[in-house]
Amino acid sequence: MKISKLLFIFIFIGIFSFLAIIKFYFVQRDFTQQQREFFLNINNLENAYLDASNLVLENSIYMYVDQDDVAHANKAIQNSYQILLTSKILSDDNYIEIKKSIVSLSKNLKQDVNNVEFFLRVNASIKNSLLFLSRHIDNSAVLAKANPKELLKARIILKSLNDTKKLQDLAYLKNKNYLLISTSEDKTVQRYIQSFNLHSNFLVKNYPAFMKITKQILDSKTTHNKIHRIKKEFSQIALNDLEALDEFASVLLSVFFLLFITIIILLVKYQRENLKLQAAYNSLEYSLTFDQLTEIYNRRRFEQDIKVIKNPSLLLVNINNFKYINDIYGNDVGNILLKDLTIFIISDISKSNKSSIYRLGGDEFGIVYQDIDDNLLLQIAEKLEISIANHVFIIKDLEIDITVSIAINSVRPILENADLTLKEIKKHPTINIVSYDESQHLKQDVEENMKIIQIIKEALIEDRIVPFFQPIINLQTLKIEKYEALVRLKLKDGTFLPPFKFLEIAQKSSQYNEITKVMIDKTIKIAQKYDKYRFSLNVSMRDISNKNIRDILFYALENKSADSKIDIELLESENLTDMQIVKEFITKVHSLGSKILIDDFGSGYSNFAYFSELDIDIVKIDGSIVKEIAKNERQFHMLKSIQEFANGMDMITVSEFVETKEIAQKLKDNGSIYAQGYYFSKPLEQPLDDDNVTI
Amino acid sequence: MIFIITLYSNEPISPIPIKVDCDMPKAMIGKELFFDTMLSSDNTISCFSCHNVYDGGADHRIVSLGVHNRKGNIQSPTVLNARYNFTEFWNGRAKDLYAQASGPLNNPAEHGMNPQKIEKAVNNSSHYKEMFKKVYGTSHITYKMVLESIVEFEKALITPNSRFDKYLRGEIKLTSSETQGYKLFKQYGCITCHNGVNIGGNSYQKMGIFIPIDEEKHYPDRMEVTKNILDKDVFKVPTLRNIDKTAPYFHDGSSKTLEDAIQSMSKHNLGMFISDEDTNYLMDFLKSLDGEEPKILEQP
Repeated sequence: MKISKLLFIFIFIGIFSFLAIIKFYFVQRDFTQQQREFFLNINNLENAYLDASNLVLENSIYMYVDQDDVAHANKAIQNSYQILLTSKILSDDNYIEIKKSIVSLSKNLKQDVNNVEFFLRVNASIKNSLLFLSRHIDNSAVLAKANPKELLKARIILKSLNDTKKLQDLAYLKNKNYLLISTSEDKTVQRYIQSFNLHSNFLVKNYPAFMKITKQILDSKTTHNKIHRIKKEFSQIALNDLEALDEFASVLLSVFFLLFITIIILLVKYQRENLKLQAAYNSLEYSLTFDQLTEIYNRRRFEQDIKVIKNPSLLLVNINNFKYINDIYGNDVGNILLKDLTIFIISDISKSNKSSIYRLGGDEFGIVYQDIDDNLLLQIAEKLEISIANHVFIIKDLEIDITVSIAINSVRPILENADLTLKEIKKHPTINIVSYDESQHLKQDVEENMKIIQIIKEALIEDRIVPFFQPIINLQTLKIEKYEALVRLKLKDGTFLPPFKFLEIAQKSSQYNEITKVMIDKTIKIAQKYDKYRFSLNVSMRDISNKNIRDILFYALENKSADSKIDIELLESENLTDMQIVKEFITKVHSLGSKILIDDFGSGYSNFAYFSELDIDIVKIDGSIVKEIAKNERQFHMLKSIQEFANGMDMITVSEFVETKEIAQKLKDNGSIYAQGYYFSKPLEQPLDDDNVTI
Repeated sequence: MIFIITLYSNEPISPIPIKVDCDMPKAMIGKELFFDTMLSSDNTISCFSCHNVYDGGADHRIVSLGVHNRKGNIQSPTVLNARYNFTEFWNGRAKDLYAQASGPLNNPAEHGMNPQKIEKAVNNSSHYKEMFKKVYGTSHITYKMVLESIVEFEKALITPNSRFDKYLRGEIKLTSSETQGYKLFKQYGCITCHNGVNIGGNSYQKMGIFIPIDEEKHYPDRMEVTKNILDKDVFKVPTLRNIDKTAPYFHDGSSKTLEDAIQSMSKHNLGMFISDEDTNYLMDFLKSLDGEEPKILEQP
């Protein structure tokens, strides 16, 4: 189980035991209070009882007593007994025996009260009688005169009666004659003796009961003992209860203490675990923030930062053709290159404004600036691009040159716009730095392209792709011998789009094949119609590598019987990949009775190597040379050299872009055979019936 | 009160406190109830019928007449200063004034009521309803509330400032006759039973200690309560306060005059003969125990 969970459980138990302790405290407090209450009540009863006893004693000694006190004491006994009986603790089952004893005590108390009442009653009369007898003897003149002997006896009787009461001993009365005997005839004497005897007789008769009740009250400890016993028994039970409570308390306290210790231990453990977790968290946080390879911020961090940076600008740096580096040198080198490039970029940009660098993808780096001027940003990008291009990275003894494309963007969403910009850059091989704003123009081009593709599509459907024909003239005979078929797109308004406006775009779409097919079909038809001319079709070397186009071409040349009057003008491509395919193509074309022309020879990519490998029939000399021959001797010389070279290789030449009479004449004079250009004719919708031309 | 008791502890008689605790608003309701015959079954009897608080608080008839002229079985004791009695009734069967007040109300020969009837009666009275509401804050009057009011009124029925009390407080001197009476009161032993605040009312005593009383007629004595043969003819010693006004005397009303009562007591319970001269002295002393009319009776 997790420590935190354990900890919570223990804390819960801790709280529980703490509450139990509080509860225990209240139970214990209640118990103590109730116990104290009981003792108070029973002590009150005992005191009331003792008070009553003392008052009884007082009553028996003093002549005049205020009996209100005794009455109060008896009431106090009854009241305190009632209170004792309602003591809260007696409702507890443990004290049921005590309660029984207390209930049974009621009888004793009632008896005691009755005894006291009886005592008071008898005591009052006895006191009165003794007092009477004393006074009677004081007024004994009558008897002294009549019978002094009886007076003496009277004194002795009174003394023994007094002694008996004082000493509470009936023995003083035993065998004693306590009545006076009247011998006198005198009525006064007789009444005197009568009165004396009434009281002495009363006393003697009542003494036993009086002594008994007095003794009972003063000596009897029954009630008092019972109260004591109840107290003792109660104390015993209470002590047991208290001990049980004590044990419970110590158990609770030990549990609480143990829990406390456990919780502390767990807390310490928890703290340690937390530290571990913190470390793990930190490393996770690092990997979430930093790129493992280059140890700079990663894309996630970029996304976090870019949200909070005000007015951010991003240079999105992408290595051109990084895929090839990985393919050629392997991923190890690629990784090292990425690291080295990172270091290079950091050292380069650290010279300029404050910035942060992020690795945003495989070969993509982001450099973020804040509040930076657009021009300055562009300068930084240009400087960085150049310094990377000029730097040679040396990895494992390999010298690696790389170039980068840099997209500049300050418009949110920052990365998305930069990405779009970068994509635009990649479409244009010669451009390496573009800002997002500029890329909008590139985007417009794309939109324009989309429009054109739409136009091409419609044109194909509506059969508005048409070949135009430009005559190729034999300068020596001044006759038109051939036509070059040139593709045109007829717009809905009847005007025509030249190929450079749509062909390149068409090449990137599926319409290109369609266009090629249409051109072939239509040219063949025209060729059948104009029997006296040959026709040439333009095919780029890139087209040849496309099997589809090859098949269309071969199919057309084979089946549409054009009497082998269709020639193929090969346009050089930037990267002619597979020479073998071209060779095979030429062989096949030759076998079908067609000739192979090389177009635009003498321009940018002209390669003499072709001629050694490929079986070419005709060379078309590029217009850039032909245009200049009238004014520029060097160009004219070049022309002548090409012609000589062609002659040597058994090839015929065609001079393109013949735009003036002067050039035409110069070519004719020079001995050139074929020429083509506006001077003679611009491309026409249909070949001319008349094949004569003049210079 | 404690102060007073302590001060006069050398005498076995204490004066009635001048001021005592009692819930006056409740006592005022009790006062009305005390005089109201509504609290009897035939609307003829009130507490006042047998306890003339203006004249000794007892009944001058030998036995009182209850509802339908039913005769009581014992002489009506005074209600004045009853709060100082240790128990109530002649035989002490009521431990306090509550128990006492409940007795006559429920006695068929006296008020002839029961708690339900009483509650019904008072609750039917808009006058009582209003009074009780003011004091108790409730519109329903209970029997307990009725009793409490009466008890509070009875607690106010005290007769302080008798000549003797004033003497005890050292305010006046007794006449020589009264002084002689008090001396005899002690000498003859009257005081052994008649002592305390109420000069009696704090113990039981047998009637006829020396010479038995006429036993023809049976009265509810202490034996009825304790079932003890020794308690035959035993009654609560009555108070001697205002004794001058509470004739006839004893439980059986056998003495019509105070003089006769003194001589009867001395004969039966003291076993002696008291001369006329001494009787007069004693009577003078006893008269000095007449106190002031309870203050609550003066209030409207």
